Amino acid sequence: MSSTVYERVSTILVENFGVEADKISADATFEDLDLDSLDLVEFSLAAEEELGVRIEDEEAEALGTLGDAVKLLEDKGATPGEG
Amino acid sequence: MLLADKRLVITGVLNEQSIAFSVARLAQEAGAQVVLTGFGRGLRITERIARRLPDPPPVLELDVTEPAHHRALAADLEERWGAVDGVVHAVAFAPETALGGDFLDTSWDDVATALRVSTYSFAELSATLTPLLRAAGGGSVVGLDFDATRAWPAYDWMGVAKAGLEATARYVARDLGPQGTRVNLVAAGPLRTVAAKGIEGFADIERSWGEQAPLGWDVTDAEPVARTVCALLSDWLPATTGMVVHADGGAHAIGAPTPPAS
Ligand SMILES: NC(=O)c1ccc[n+]([C@@H]2O[C@H](COP(=O)([O-])OP(=O)(O)OC[C@H]3O[C@@H](n4cnc5c(N)ncnc54)[C@H](O)[C@@H]3O)[C@@H](O)[C@H]2O)c1
Repeated sequence: MSSTVYERVSTILVENFGVEADKISADATFEDLDLDSLDLVEFSLAAEEELGVRIEDEEAEALGTLGDAVKLLEDKGATPGEG
Repeated sequence: MLLADKRLVITGVLNEQSIAFSVARLAQEAGAQVVLTGFGRGLRITERIARRLPDPPPVLELDVTEPAHHRALAADLEERWGAVDGVVHAVAFAPETALGGDFLDTSWDDVATALRVSTYSFAELSATLTPLLRAAGGGSVVGLDFDATRAWPAYDWMGVAKAGLEATARYVARDLGPQGTRVNLVAAGPLRTVAAKGIEGFADIERSWGEQAPLGWDVTDAEPVARTVCALLSDWLPATTGMVVHADGGAHAIGAPTPPAS
């Protein structure tokens, strides 16, 4: 189950932010992926639209790694997609 | 409705916390037609956010420092509406070195950037839209200010930019008054937006504001400021121009936090 939220988040990063797929891993920080604070704002919007879960600004700022983001989304009730 | 059929150009929507987002939402609820502008990489975010408004508006590109964008904006609005009833300037930027740091150790280049984006752009945007405002019979230009009559912790060169903005608004009011255009600023209390969170030390201002403001203050609620902007965009302050209207819970009127009477 967790891998699916992870996959959907990875897809957002590749498709919307041009992150190279091989750079993506659970311990990658947003800095490693070259996402700055403006990108994080957009990432939380995209995640909200794709996964139906809202990330508050404060939470987005506190995110260290991609794994943290996936965990936060899951804790908030994001479920694997239909597709 | 307060803004029935008003054609409004609203800059500065970045996310739902943006003051301009609340303005756009309330304006649409009050009957206005809205066009948003977005800037640089934030344009994509503005486009996403526009879909969350009651009636998703078009988003046009405007980096206020790009003369070509000003021309394209005027051309688009000319074709779309032929006139503009209201303009909201909610744009500000200063490099990190010009904020929350060492005021006396900021380079002119960084100060110049702050003034270019946060001060001069108000006159430039007003000039861009002057013919369209005239076509609407005058219209209203509203900018967002942070009380620049005093020095603040951390606000630094942005405070200087806002002092310049206050003066700029008076001159634009002087020059556009004869065509019936009203030009005013709303001095907002501190709100937790992307712009504000970029200012290290701004939290110190936030903390004391609620104690100082007779009406209290909620740093997470932009609606009181947005309502004030909408009031200035409406026809109900017809003899007001060149003003700074405070939407700050009243903090500007009080010298120091006053403990509740026992
Ligand atoms: N948040 C506060 O505490 C507070 C208090 C008083 C006044 N203000 C003023 O309110 C206005 C809106 O800011 P906000 O707090 O809603 O934050 P915000 O970060 O949501 O908005 C700032 C906007 O400025 C835009 N911008 C920056 N550079 C630009 C450029 N070159 N061209 C076009 N747009 C550009 C950004 O895209 C963004 O939309 C600003 O003028 C700000 O100084 C804010």
